[in-house]
Amino acid sequence: MFKNVYNWIDERLDITPIWRDVADHEVPEHVNPAHHFSAFVYCFGGLTFFITVIQILSGMFLTMYYVPDIINAYASVEYLQTKVAFGKIVRGMHHWGASLVIVMMFLHTMRVFFTGSYKAPREMNWVVGMLIFFVMLGLGLTGYLLPWDNKAYFATKVTLEIANSVPFMGPVLKELMQGGSIAGAETLTRFFALHVFFLPAVLLILLVGHFIMIRRQGISGPL
Amino acid sequence: MSSLNEEEESLPQEPPSRNEMSRRQFLTYTLGGATAFMGAGVILPMVRFAVDPILQKKGEGEFIKVAEASKITEEPQEFTFELPQQDGWYASTAMLTAWIRKDANGDIYALSPICKHLGCTVGWNNNKAHPDEYHCPCHGARYTKQGRQLAVAAKPLDQYTTKIDGGWVYLGEIVPNTVSAKEA
Amino acid sequence: MAHGDDSKEKVIFVGDSRVRRGNGFITPPDYTAYPGKSEAFIPNFLLKEWMVGVVVLVGILVLTISEPAPLGFPANPAATVIPIPDWYFLFLYQYLKLPYASGDYIVLGTLGVTGVAFGALLLAPFLDTGPERRFYRRPIASSLMFLSLAAIVYLTNTAWTEYKHEMAETGQIPEDVQREEKAAENRAAGLPTTSAVKPKDIAIVDKDDPAMALYKQATCITCHAVDMKGSGSFPSLRGVGDKHDKAAILTIIKEGKGQMPPMVETAMGAGLTEQDIDELAGWLAKQKSGQ
Repeated sequence: MFKNVYNWIDERLDITPIWRDVADHEVPEHVNPAHHFSAFVYCFGGLTFFITVIQILSGMFLTMYYVPDIINAYASVEYLQTKVAFGKIVRGMHHWGASLVIVMMFLHTMRVFFTGSYKAPREMNWVVGMLIFFVMLGLGLTGYLLPWDNKAYFATKVTLEIANSVPFMGPVLKELMQGGSIAGAETLTRFFALHVFFLPAVLLILLVGHFIMIRRQGISGPL
Repeated sequence: MSSLNEEEESLPQEPPSRNEMSRRQFLTYTLGGATAFMGAGVILPMVRFAVDPILQKKGEGEFIKVAEASKITEEPQEFTFELPQQDGWYASTAMLTAWIRKDANGDIYALSPICKHLGCTVGWNNNKAHPDEYHCPCHGARYTKQGRQLAVAAKPLDQYTTKIDGGWVYLGEIVPNTVSAKEA
Repeated sequence: MAHGDDSKEKVIFVGDSRVRRGNGFITPPDYTAYPGKSEAFIPNFLLKEWMVGVVVLVGILVLTISEPAPLGFPANPAATVIPIPDWYFLFLYQYLKLPYASGDYIVLGTLGVTGVAFGALLLAPFLDTGPERRFYRRPIASSLMFLSLAAIVYLTNTAWTEYKHEMAETGQIPEDVQREEKAAENRAAGLPTTSAVKPKDIAIVDKDDPAMALYKQATCITCHAVDMKGSGSFPSLRGVGDKHDKAAILTIIKEGKGQMPPMVETAMGAGLTEQDIDELAGWLAKQKSGQ
């Protein structure tokens, strides 16, 4: 049954080479921890992706309860954390996952840096990777405000002040980030939009680029 | 499918017969198992989180004390009562009204005054042209004492579930009308 | 490196990648181009990767069950809270407190050093262009990175110690801990455990006044609802006295306002007298939200 459906689609779209390319490509020995234990450093990229998937999923589920509004944001987060079954776990996954993504991504970056894997011909992939890093930091920054508790509020005020101190365009930048003259309702909706739509969209595009380049160029050779 | 080294690895072994599992099959099944475990570990808590509203215990038997049973007459009377509502993190009290009367057998029932036409609030005997009927001033829908629709509306007025305990009338949730069918 | 620009080889690759030097599109060769033991991505290699993934997942689940995500009290601009960012921003946060990165030198702090550092990181492959990949063979790049790592560790640690110190000095307990304790106390006492700010409802003034019955009788309730909160585009009458005085309310009843038609005849039809309507308007004018 499944086979027939697959064949029917394959006949028309010739999808076999697409997944065959991913499934059957050979992975060299030097990145395989079964051959050299030290090769575990090559795992961090994959783990970053795995946790990113967890982040996207848990984030999608959290928005089922969350409201980006200064009156209800806190109440809804408190409600989903304390009253909804498994809310503590789903929010916990998103909260701790955010830290873990940063850790894994940092380790991945260090691996690439110290093995010199960013050298020609992989310069572009390094740049894309760094952009992913910055987007992730942006996601962390915007997500921190969303529960709208005191810690989030005051940390964001500091961030906005830092933006304000940028020469020439500082005040404009601050007002653009906070969406008004004070940090309040409009700041929250703005950060929410960035956190949930804009930054993830950019992240996904960059990730696709990152992966396509890896498949095209292969993993960097052994040292 | 099979690469060079794959063949090399399987050389010293017996060629797999039909009943035996090849190394590749074993790896594939293990990989499938690991994938299923990871998928389930991530998704199940989230799904449980998402379907929580349907698994939460409903406020079954949530009855509000509304009126003394002795005060109920055959003429419908209006009673208002407050229903505390917990809508997620949003707590509020809804003020509801019910028109309560007893029929010839002494059975007490309560009608919801929400017009089944477009949701305005009906009143008893509030239009001189149509005495002893529920009348909705918005579009002129009319109902009998039992809530059966006479004009404009397509359905009879809804009813509250009713409970009489210790001489008091308790009202519960709103359900479709059952008394108007008896009358007809 | 496995594939340098070795002219003896028939096919020349770009660096150690599978991309061939040449013009136009060339289908990349299989990874078997590498010497040594390579293996298929699925299922062989991915299984190993997944094993690590399973361990990480179990770790995350254990962490989320044992350590709930912190949540403090609702944001209150008047509160005195020591602002603290997420841990991975601590180094920046601490760095911007340094004397040459703040005050008159703030530009140097935000754009100068930070901008140069992150810019250099972003463009690392174009700054470190030598062919050597081993970190000990490219001392400048590596030592700069080690220096940055040391600085990040130092700054993060300082920021955290200072924060802890400040908290202890001012006798503050992290708000998420306070909230948990408060919720636990309330739970034990059977009170609501929420810390959320409740929006205040405007109460109905003089609920037992006979005018309340008039309000119902006069069919006002059809639009403004039994609880006087209105519905849809019909406004709430709670606190209507803040906006209109008695005379203005009488005018609205008699002449209508916006979508509302003159209601006086409907009210009369429902059995109200002139005096009843006057009383009703007076009662409505008393509906002030108060404080």
